[in-house]
Amino acid sequence: MLLSNIEGSVMPPSTDLLQGTLDLLILQTLALGPMHGWGVAQRIQQISKEVLQVGQGSLYPALHRLEYKGWIEADWGNSDNNRRAKFYSLTATGRKQLETELETWERFSSAIALVLGRVPEAQA
Amino acid sequence: MMNEWLTRLKFLARFLFSRRQHEILDEELQFHLEQSTAAHMALGMTATEARRQALIEFGGVERTREQCHEQRPGWWLGTLAQDVRYALRGFKRSPVFTLAVIATLALGIGATTAVFSVVDRILFRPLPYAHDDRLVSFGLVQSLERQEFTLGGFFYEWRDNQKPFESVTFEQGVSECNLTEANPVHLHCAQVAQNFLSTLGISPILGRNFLPEEDLPNGPKVALLTDGLWLSRYNRDPGVLNTSINLDGHLFRVVGVLPKDFEMPRLQATDVVTPAAMDVAAQHTVNSGIGYPMWAFARLKPGISVAQAQQQMEPLYLHTQQWIPAQFRSEFHLQVRSIRDRQMQEAYRAAWVLLGAVFAVLLIACANVASLFSARGAARERELAVRSALGATRGRLIRQTLTEALLLAVAGAGAGFAVAEILLRTFIAIAPTGIPLMAQARLDLRIGWFTLLLTLVCAALFGILPALQKPRPTALAARSARSGGSALVRRILVGAQIAITVVLLSGASLLVRSFWNLEQQSLGMQTQNVLTVHIPLTWARYNNGQAFLDFHLRAEAALRRLPGVTAVAMSDSIPPDSNSWHGGVRYPDLFVVGRPRPAAGVGGTVIVRAVTPSYFHILRIPILQGQGFAEEDRRSGANSMILSKLLASRLFPEGDAIGQHIQIATYMPYFALKGPVFTVVGIAGNVKNGGLAGQDDPEYYTLRHSGPEDWSNHTVMLVETALPASVVAPWIRGQIAQLDATAPVEIETLTKSVGKLADRPRFETALVGFFAFCGLLMALIGLYGVIAYIAAQRTQEIGVRMALGATRWNILRLIAGQGLRLIVFGGLAGLGAALASAQLLKGLLFNVQPRDPATYLAVVLVLGLVALAATLLPARAATQVQPVEALRYE
Repeated sequence: MLLSNIEGSVMPPSTDLLQGTLDLLILQTLALGPMHGWGVAQRIQQISKEVLQVGQGSLYPALHRLEYKGWIEADWGNSDNNRRAKFYSLTATGRKQLETELETWERFSSAIALVLGRVPEAQA
Repeated sequence: MMNEWLTRLKFLARFLFSRRQHEILDEELQFHLEQSTAAHMALGMTATEARRQALIEFGGVERTREQCHEQRPGWWLGTLAQDVRYALRGFKRSPVFTLAVIATLALGIGATTAVFSVVDRILFRPLPYAHDDRLVSFGLVQSLERQEFTLGGFFYEWRDNQKPFESVTFEQGVSECNLTEANPVHLHCAQVAQNFLSTLGISPILGRNFLPEEDLPNGPKVALLTDGLWLSRYNRDPGVLNTSINLDGHLFRVVGVLPKDFEMPRLQATDVVTPAAMDVAAQHTVNSGIGYPMWAFARLKPGISVAQAQQQMEPLYLHTQQWIPAQFRSEFHLQVRSIRDRQMQEAYRAAWVLLGAVFAVLLIACANVASLFSARGAARERELAVRSALGATRGRLIRQTLTEALLLAVAGAGAGFAVAEILLRTFIAIAPTGIPLMAQARLDLRIGWFTLLLTLVCAALFGILPALQKPRPTALAARSARSGGSALVRRILVGAQIAITVVLLSGASLLVRSFWNLEQQSLGMQTQNVLTVHIPLTWARYNNGQAFLDFHLRAEAALRRLPGVTAVAMSDSIPPDSNSWHGGVRYPDLFVVGRPRPAAGVGGTVIVRAVTPSYFHILRIPILQGQGFAEEDRRSGANSMILSKLLASRLFPEGDAIGQHIQIATYMPYFALKGPVFTVVGIAGNVKNGGLAGQDDPEYYTLRHSGPEDWSNHTVMLVETALPASVVAPWIRGQIAQLDATAPVEIETLTKSVGKLADRPRFETALVGFFAFCGLLMALIGLYGVIAYIAAQRTQEIGVRMALGATRWNILRLIAGQGLRLIVFGGLAGLGAALASAQLLKGLLFNVQPRDPATYLAVVLVLGLVALAATLLPARAATQVQPVEALRYE
């Protein structure tokens, strides 16, 4: 559900998001400071240099879910162009959660790297 | 963690109480789209193109909105409401289905709950004793008395040498006693051993148990009250402790009150409990050296089973056998069994039959609900396919079905519990007094919930089946949805219902026939216009035969003078009772003077009644030969005797009974032939004397002389009057009160007291009959429902057939034929099951064979006809279909 490459034809080829990584990305993004939904989407895209394509439609359910979990909280504020917008920011629990998720991610990605690194040797 | 929960709660509250959620979300998404549009416009797109691009990049707005909602805790509550609304709309569209399910549930839950509430008290209730599974009753049994009893001579020997029991106690029976104070009442007083309460594990709720010194001969007189008496007489006043009450002229100090649920192990009605104060040493001298009768109970040691206890007691019993007169020794056995077994001996079979009936009804209810849901599910296959195509997930469809099942269950349960309450009250009202603990039966909701759950599972299972199958694309196209598999299941379910109904119906019909036989049998006497008057006089006030004689002669004279009373007689008991206080004599103990002694050990029991001459006249018992007793013989002291026809034909097959002399052997405790020599003066017609359903025994009557030796408190007066009992009863009471104001008087019509004996079979018959009716009703509902569905589903086909020239008769045969097959197969299966299980009813039947062909034929006929009607109604409706309408159907 969180995977999205519907717009693949318009945008350059992008990598599908692994399930669950969207939460991590959102938390990481919000760690920089309060941001509205549009901002989060832009930010993820910019930082990942357009490689990670976040389906904008699936961003909001994720934001809401994190909000209900209490990891982020929402507040109304004014955007750059003075429009009323809903700003999300990280809570204390969210910060802790981000740390654990980062750890998990690092373990996971190094494990993948390890496996991938050995494939050619096995073939040789 | 705490924080997290608080946040969740906050959101839940916000969700539940705020309506602005939608607007807020809309605003947020709106902002996003605007930003996106602006970004695209900054790249040089036109406003329209930018907005279009923004929407494409976003994906489905509506879908996002929904997904956002679904993130919310408790969001499903909203869809639940939707499901409920949808279900209610569906029920409104198919009222027959809805009503059938609710009626089935109401009947099923009502009947099973009510009966289980009754049976549970009998079969499974905990006895009001601590660790009641360790309690046993033990004693002697013999052919005339199958309920174990013991005698003082045996008991103390056993008590002092036994090994398997932790503690051994006894009760001496419950005797009638009168509370002789202002407002005298007739009570029941139990005499028990000092350790009776402690052995059973009962402690008084007020005061204390008896002390050992109070259980000695001539010890202080003390008493424990039961809760019933404490309430009715003293309004539960704790001040009754240590006051004195007057029982039969003796003052007893009240030392305690028993708990509300107290009951004697043999379930006798009891108001007061006093110490037996048994003289242990005298038990080998009194009552011809065998001691007073008593009933022994014991608590097993841990780890000892009832069978082991019996084994360990056997040598002790063999040792004590010496006190039983040699010629009877082989007739006696030792019996040890649990108190529960002793209490429930007769109730067991009836309770199991009822439980079986309940189970059958439960099965029918379940099958019915299942087949109704399955039929509905099949009919909705197309609808489900449409909903699935429109995006409903399978989970959602299953939830929808479950919601419907739940809604119906709630409605059915409500109605069912109401039915159960009404039924239980009816049961208690019509139950005979003999069924133990009936009056205390309360609605037991456990079984109600169980039934509900079971039917719910049936409903859900069969309702979900069609939702589980991936809706076939063809279902969308099919003009009339039909699923072959579930149709077969449904037919099997309906067939099973018919089969179970046959079992129930045949059982009920057998009981009805048996009851009919019981009511219609000839008693050998007439019961119209006769009142029985029982005056329980006490030995304390009337301490010898002369006192009883004086009282009863005066009472007889007084009652004879009453207007409207045409005759008064006295007896010690009244048929069809077997004379419960006088056990009768053995046939071989009748010695005809001048004839050889009959062989010992054969011939069974002979009933004995001591009566005054008018007895035969009042009960219209014919004197077939010779003559009845004469009034003047009462004073002359002539020892005359009247034999029943049965006894006469056995003793004197040649028909020369009149004028013969007979002497009765006595055992005090050894055989002796010292009693009076009776002269046979007449032969009377046979009268039922083994209870209503029992086997008739031979009987003889002796004359009650006007001498003290013939009188005791075992006296019943029979009053013949054409006036109604309500008129005569106060007059009788007035006359007796003039003789003794403290004597309670019990008056009843003979018709009523005989009718009471049929209470139990009446009760059983009514209950099982009711079940059969419920079962039949439900099976018919099921049959009707299925045929109606089949007909509805084939409406289009019927239209085509009729358009092609099929007659209405063809259509009728087509539709009804399916029902007929179900009836025949179900009926045959049921007949087989009924015949196989008929033996279970044997003990409950009177003068009907368990495989009585006429009964089964009637059941098959009735069921066949009614079921046929249930089939023909919907089938006929199918033939009324207009071909044009049918082709346009759906």
